[in-house]
Amino acid sequence: MNMFLHELKAYRKSTLIWTVSLVAMVVLFLSMFPSFSKDAEEFKTLLEGFPAELRKAIGLSVDSIATLLGFFSYSFLYLKLAGAIQAMNLGTSILSKESREKTADFLLTKPVTRTQIVTSKLMAALVSLIFTNLVFIAATFVMASLVAGDEFNKEALFLIALSLFMIQLMFLALGILVSVIFPRIKSVISVSLGTVFGFFMLGMISSTTDDKALRYLTPFNYFDSAHITENLSYENSFLLTVVLFIIAAILASYYFYTKKDVHSV
Amino acid sequence: MNVIEIKNLTKMYGKARGIEDVSFSVEEGEIFGFIGPNGAGKSTTIRTLLSLIYPTSGSATIFGKDIITAAPEIKKEIGYLPSEVFYYDNMKVMDLLKYSASFYKKDCTKRIRELADIMELDLTKKIDDLSLGNKKKVGIVQGLLHEPKLIILDEPTSGLDPLMQQKFFDLLEKENKKGATILFSSHILSEVQRLCDRVAIIKDGRIVTVEKISTLKENTYKKFKIETNSTIEKDLFKLDGVNQLEQDGSTISFLFRGNINAIMRKIAEIEIANLWIEEPNLEEIFMHYYEKEE
Repeated sequence: MNMFLHELKAYRKSTLIWTVSLVAMVVLFLSMFPSFSKDAEEFKTLLEGFPAELRKAIGLSVDSIATLLGFFSYSFLYLKLAGAIQAMNLGTSILSKESREKTADFLLTKPVTRTQIVTSKLMAALVSLIFTNLVFIAATFVMASLVAGDEFNKEALFLIALSLFMIQLMFLALGILVSVIFPRIKSVISVSLGTVFGFFMLGMISSTTDDKALRYLTPFNYFDSAHITENLSYENSFLLTVVLFIIAAILASYYFYTKKDVHSV
Repeated sequence: MNVIEIKNLTKMYGKARGIEDVSFSVEEGEIFGFIGPNGAGKSTTIRTLLSLIYPTSGSATIFGKDIITAAPEIKKEIGYLPSEVFYYDNMKVMDLLKYSASFYKKDCTKRIRELADIMELDLTKKIDDLSLGNKKKVGIVQGLLHEPKLIILDEPTSGLDPLMQQKFFDLLEKENKKGATILFSSHILSEVQRLCDRVAIIKDGRIVTVEKISTLKENTYKKFKIETNSTIEKDLFKLDGVNQLEQDGSTISFLFRGNINAIMRKIAEIEIANLWIEEPNLEEIFMHYYEKEE
């Protein structure tokens, strides 16, 4: 419990900053919706002038863009990007910071198992992300009712907003795995930005090609807003992939971390 | 009873040598020195004992329990001070120490204040703002605050001024009297000689010898350099136990091993201008042990 609280405290500031940023983004995006929907027809004509591939790549769907859900889904792409960076950062740094800040000797000579260390850190990261998502979802709903009144499907909006959490969990797990496999990560930000942007680009490419197999490699496209809006559910095969990936990555991280030699500075 | 027992411990870093076939044991209540030059494998041995790294082969026990399978249990009673101390920079000293204490299921607040008093450590400062020596003091308090039965020190004196070093040694001796066993690693022979009862010498990853300090002292050379007012016959010092006798003008130098009184009587016979008697440095001791092996 002491480690968990210590970690939570250590990430308090960055969690708050990320949460405020995400909320600011959603406020900014959704506050543009009223003026956008007023002139929807004109925008649609304008957007139809864009090449279809570009529209797909940036997640624009002309049919639905004038609805709140469509508009939110479009801006959600960038929220996902920001959220993924937050989670990947958190995951990559939470174990590796001990060796980067050279505090591993302190922590690992205490009467705790390495499993307990990973668990405490994982829980602290999880709580940080849950906090971010609670605030984010609340902000989304407040903004949505402000700009669109009651005229939107609340369940669909909730599912779309919640998929941020799913994506964050994946990147958290990926970040932890990366940090235990690579012996010394000098700069967390370059690893996490590189990985997240890599997947983001892959996601854009995959959106334009409609390649089924490629979609499994692009976490950003796992939770398709159009599908959620229509069926009010996630696609099972992708949900399963997420769950399996997270379990595998976390188990592997535990395994590698308990076996790892912790070298002196 | 042996507090630490190391059996044929080997650690390879890929193909590079860490330590090879290291075996020795530390008895309860003794201050055991672990000495060798940088890179000889002192830290590797200690880090293996603390299960920070895992051995390639061989095994070791602490308090009779396996260092790997019983690691968390063993560590309840171990205080460790690494050669370089690093802590969470943005914490205050007191918060860091409280965090450290929170791992042991006892109240250490009183003990923290006591130790901080002795080491003259300001508990209200941020760790970030501390000098190297003061960070070291945090390390010392951190390592001793839970009154461990085994204290493991890895080159602990670097960064401490002589006065603090003295206080630190006094502190260690007090802990030892209360029953704590101490494993003291160092490359400075004089500190090991001062504190320790027995010593293991490690070189190139292997234990060269484990000896009592008293035996080691008898067996090692002292370096003599004598400056005389007038040139004297150097054969005067051709005694048993004298080696590498050299004369350069009015100075005579040699290495001596044996009863020092014999030499002192000789020196008293002549008129001298100056006299140096030096402990051999570590390298010279190793030379001594290498010669013995060959």
